Order: sequence, then structure tokens, then C-alpha cells
Amino acid sequence: MTELGLLARFVHLSASILIVGSAALVLLAGRSDRPTALAWESRVVALTRALIWLALGAGLAVLAHQTAILESSVVAALEPRALARVALETRFGHVWLVRQGLLLLLGVFVSLRLDVRRAVDWRAARGETAILGALALAALGAAGHSAAVEPSAAAAIAADVGHLLAAGVWAGALPALVLLLRAASREAGADARPYAVLTARRFSRAALILMTALLATGILITAVQVGSVGALLGTRYGRLLVLKLALVLAALAAAALGRRRLLPALGGEATTVGRPAMRRLAGSVAVEAACVLAILGVVTALGVSPPARHEQPDWPLSFRLAVGALGDTPDAWPFVLVGSQIAVLGVVVALCSPALRAARWPLLAGGGVLMLAGLVMALPPFATDAYPTTYQRPAVPYQAASVAAGAALYARDCAACHGPVGAGDGPAARAFSPAPPDLRAHHAALHTAGDLYWWITHGRRAMPAFGHLEPEQRWSLVNYLRALGAADAARRLGAVVEPERPRLVAPDFAFAVGPTPPRALRDYRGARVVLVVLYTLPGSRQRLAELAARYDLLVPLGVEVIAVPTDASPDAIKRLGREPRIFFPVVTDGAAEIVTTYSLFAAGPHAEFLVDRQGYLRALEAAPQGTERLLQNVQALNEEKVVVAPPAEHVH
Amino acid sequence: MAVWKVVVLLDLALALGVGGGYLWWGRQVERLGRELVEARAAAAGPREYRAEGVVRAVLPEVGVIVITHEEISGYMPAMTMGFRAVSPKLYEAVQVGDAVRFSLGGTPPNLAITTIEKLGR
Repeated sequence: MTELGLLARFVHLSASILIVGSAALVLLAGRSDRPTALAWESRVVALTRALIWLALGAGLAVLAHQTAILESSVVAALEPRALARVALETRFGHVWLVRQGLLLLLGVFVSLRLDVRRAVDWRAARGETAILGALALAALGAAGHSAAVEPSAAAAIAADVGHLLAAGVWAGALPALVLLLRAASREAGADARPYAVLTARRFSRAALILMTALLATGILITAVQVGSVGALLGTRYGRLLVLKLALVLAALAAAALGRRRLLPALGGEATTVGRPAMRRLAGSVAVEAACVLAILGVVTALGVSPPARHEQPDWPLSFRLAVGALGDTPDAWPFVLVGSQIAVLGVVVALCSPALRAARWPLLAGGGVLMLAGLVMALPPFATDAYPTTYQRPAVPYQAASVAAGAALYARDCAACHGPVGAGDGPAARAFSPAPPDLRAHHAALHTAGDLYWWITHGRRAMPAFGHLEPEQRWSLVNYLRALGAADAARRLGAVVEPERPRLVAPDFAFAVGPTPPRALRDYRGARVVLVVLYTLPGSRQRLAELAARYDLLVPLGVEVIAVPTDASPDAIKRLGREPRIFFPVVTDGAAEIVTTYSLFAAGPHAEFLVDRQGYLRALEAAPQGTERLLQNVQALNEEKVVVAPPAEHVH
Repeated sequence: MAVWKVVVLLDLALALGVGGGYLWWGRQVERLGRELVEARAAAAGPREYRAEGVVRAVLPEVGVIVITHEEISGYMPAMTMGFRAVSPKLYEAVQVGDAVRFSLGGTPPNLAITTIEKLGR
């Protein structure tokens, strides 16, 4: 069933692309009155007609396959009601209806025995075929992975449509071009040879532009759907994309050979072109077309694979390249400098090679060797150990509840060696040489969350494995380690906001006030600056009164205050009593986790954390006096331009 | 008929079909929006809402109980807000920090607390 569905999608896509390409090539070639050219043209039109009905039929099968997937039942593929529901009520269905409608219209149009002897009629008929085919192909972009891109689906769809159309005109034209070259290379086709040569030259020029467009849109789509090297090599989607790229390179090599070697042989007086040269060109284009067919197969598989950005990458190599790795090996600097210079020299030599005709190939080869040698010299210092989980996203978001859970696990299983706050100074640490590393320092920044997860799971050097912990627990430990690192960095954070320097992510948390449903710190993103106040009675009472008195000013300035009792009492509001009258949220549920997490950043009976609208921690203060500074900080945040995107839900 | 005329007519029909469909769609949306407004207006008149919350202040001198409440569906989102009470006795029934369930009655926007009871916790 799956295989049949994939086959249907492959046939449907290939036919749709061939329709556009054939029509475009006929337009590109122009009208001719040579018998062989006319015969070729009517053959292409007949082929187009067949392709349209093929695309329509395969389209029906694709709808059936999609219905079977959506209803998760094979039988549904044959149930008219299920099919109608998918066609009428899903986005895929709407796009499918539009496309089938256009194809049907095109099929009827092409089937009319039109008289195209007049130039204007010829142009109108062939142009209409190209336009309707292109519309049907472009509509595919509106139902693919791009339609699900957040937040700029329109841009992603535009890139997809551009990619489809460029691919349609380039890839779809190749078989028709092969047919023409073949026809012209026959003894009887000599009359069409100049026409074929002209068409090949025009196509070659157009292909260059189309290739550039394909590459540009392809990179754009990859950036959106894959986004990282880890996802490119670590997911099915990414690996399929690499395979596609390899096939594209093969097609390009065939194309380059055709363009540089064979086309000039067809130069000069077009009438004198020999048959062998023509046949070789036809062969080279046929190789290109075969590559394209393979590419379309890969594209079909891509279309039904979840995009890499939604998948957990499984890194296949035992190393990765990271700029940060250089910090660990200062001795490697000379190698990096010399190696990179050699590589640059190699590139320059290779780029200059076309200018010196006589020594072109030796120079090109020499440049390539130099570049490789330079890279071999310069890159190893950047290599750092990597594991299958290196690029995986934590399964648990960076939230106070997870950090607090991680803190408890850490105290139980890790603190004996790594020390109470990760400095590597636990009571058992003296037994080890080298001592356990400082988990707070740059060390943590160099390694990904996935690296830490791997070490916790499998152990490292003297450290035992903790694979018996649940995956969520291990990710919580990673979140706690990230919070430790952030807390270390927070020591540089002052009481005054540094404009446009958001660096530290405020761990998200969930909280509830009385019986109201829980809210999250995240909910204030884009709307409010949040002042998180950890307070302890009775010491903090006066400060709370101060904030309560200015609350009517803070609200219109866009500030929310969230008060968190350090004793995490469910009766917190009652304990505050009738005076002062406090109207900002006082956390009665969820306070314990918030206190555990935020105390890492600033311990003490009272502490205030200013979180900007993007969710970054911008200022912290243990013993604030008055509200002047708070108001100034808020003013600074209100005036600043947004310089970074909101942090992701997970640590990296 | 000349082929180019057929093509022009075809494209024209296609454009008209798409444009007409788009306009029709837009008018449907407009009509639905109008109906929604009418339906909302028809809903005016005395209403009753129920919600849970926590008492933040009791101010009989200005006739207000301040409550941090959950979303009151169809009326207002979750927030901290002062409400009038229909009877002075209600001010004595609750204290700061009490988790409560309360009812609002009256004709919007003139709503007042009609009943308020402590939640057992």
C-alpha cells in the first residue's frame, strides 16, 4: 500500500513536471516548418496529452493514499465518503481539487484538434499549455511541508513554488530535448539539425538561470526545513536531501560536460553539424534526464518524510566541528592560521586557472590539492567529540519544574563528586585525578545538551553511567546543569538593565494563584515585562508594600509583578493579610520549583528578577530600595529595540 | 474560431471564475461576521456568570471585593478585578486569601456579586 502510494506520488510529480518542461521547451524552440521539427513537435504534444491523463489518474491514487493515511485505514482509500471528506475539508484536498481541475482543463484543451498554422495561434496554444501546466505545478507548493511553516508560511510557499517551477522547466524539458536531438541525429532528420542545435543552445542558456534559481530556492527551503548540520546528517529527511544534492551534482556534471565539450562541437554553421556530435549530446542529456528521474524519486520520499526540523537528529559521526573547541587547544592556533592561508591560496589558484589556458588543468588540480591540504591542517583543532545524541533537543523544556527535579537528582546522585553546585569539589572528588570538571564554566557552553545527556546515560572516564534513570530525569539533569551555568553567568548581571544585551534565558515556570488555572511565565512574552519577586516574610513585607503602592503605575508601563513566597505556602495570600493591599499575582501553587530554580541565580531571603518581553533575564537585585531603579529599568526595556528572537523552549 | 481567441476566452473565464469565487468567499465571511455581531447583540439582557477565584481585598467602604479570578467565559478573561456585591452581608462572608466560588448577576456591564462561598481547602 505504502509502496503503491509512493509510486503514485512519484508518477504524479514526474508527469506534472514533464508537462511544464515539454511545453516550455516547445516555446523555447519556437515554430519551424521543417518536417522533422514538426513531427517532433506533434510527438511532444501527443506525449503531453498522455502525461496529462497519467497525472490525473495518478492524482486519484494520491488522493486515495492520502485518505488512507489521514483515516489510518487502508479500506478508507476506496470509500467515496472518506475520499470526499479529505477532498472537501482538508487543505491538501482543496489544493488537490484545484490541481486536478487545472489538469482536466489542460487535458481538454490539448485534446482539441486545434489549427495552429498561424503564428499567433501557435503561440497562444503552446503558451496556454505552458501556463495551465505551470499553474497546476505551482499549486503543489501550497500543500507541501512549506504550508506548515511558522510563522512565515507565505515566504516558504513562495520559495517552494519557485523551486517547483524552475525544476519543472529545467528537468521537465530534458526528455523532450533528448527526443529532438535523437530525431535530428538520424540520417533522415538532417533538415531539423540547425533547429535542434539552436534549441540546445537556448536551453543551455536558460538552464544556467534556472539552476541558479533552483540552488537559491533549494538553500532557502533547506534552511527552513532542516536548519542545522545536525539535522542534515542526523535525520532521514536530511540524509535524503544529501542524496538529492549528490544526484543534482551528477546531473550538473553531465550538463557541464555537455555545455563545455559537446555544444562547441556543434558550433559554426549549424547546417554542417555532424551526426556523431549530435548523438553524443543526446546521450549526455539522456544521462541528465536519468539523474532527474532519480532526483524526483528522492523528492517523492522527501514529501512524505517529516521535515528534519521536527525530528530528533541521530548524529552519525564520532566528531563534529565547533569553533569553541579551539579554546581547549591553544597550541593549535599556528596550524589553523597556516592551514587556512594554504586553503585560501588553493582557492585563489583554482579560481585563476581558467585565465591561463595552457596550464588550466594542472592549476585547477594543484589548487584543489592545496585547498584540501590546508583544510586537513586547519580543521582538526576544531573537531570535538560527538555522540548520537549530540544534536538532540531535550525531551523536557527548560522549565523550573524540570530544573528543580534535576536539582534533587543532582543532590542525590552527582553532588558527592561534582560538588554541591557543580564546581567539581565534592567530598569524593579528591579520589579522582584529574578532578571532576567545573560544570558551570565555559565547559558547559562548548558541549551541547545532547553531549551531556550522552555522558549521563553512558558515563565518561571515571564517571559511572546513569542510564537507569528515566530519559526525562536525565534531561532534567541536563536542564539543571544548564541552569547552573546560567547562574554562574548571572553573577555578571547587575541591578541595572544593560540596553540591548539580552543573554540569559529566564527559566520558564508554571504558577497558579488560588483556584485559578495555572499560567506560565511564557504567557507574558511579547506583552509584559515581568518582575519575579522571591520574598520571605516578615523581612520582605515593606518591600512588597512599596511595590503594591506603585502597582497602579507599573501596570500601565507594561509590568507584571509575580510574587513567589520562599516558604512555598499555599496560604501565601492569607499570610500577607489585609495590609498592604497587594493585587499582583502571589503564587500559591508551584512556588517551590520557582524558588529552587531562581535561588541558583540569587540566593537570599529576598531577590527580584527583571524578565524582558522576550523572556530574557535582564537585571537582578537582592536588596532593592525604592522603585526608582525599577522604573528606570522598565523605561530602558520599553525603549529598546528587539535585538534577538525569543529563546527556544529547550536548552542547547 | 481562431485558436488565440479560444485561449483568450479560456483565460478570461478562468480569471473570472477565480475572481468571482474569491469575491463570493469574501461575502460569505462578511455575512458570517455580521451574523455574529447580531447574535451577540441579541444576547444582551440580564445574565448570570459563575467563576472561581481568590479574594485579594475586601473594601466595604468603597463597596468592592477584589478577586483574582479565572476566565469568565463569554464575559472577561482571567484577571484581578474589583466587583460590587449586591448585599453588604457578602463583604463579611469572606476574607483576604480565601479561595471562593462566586456568581455575577445583572445586565452587562452592570454586574454585581450575587453569591460568594468559600471553597474548602
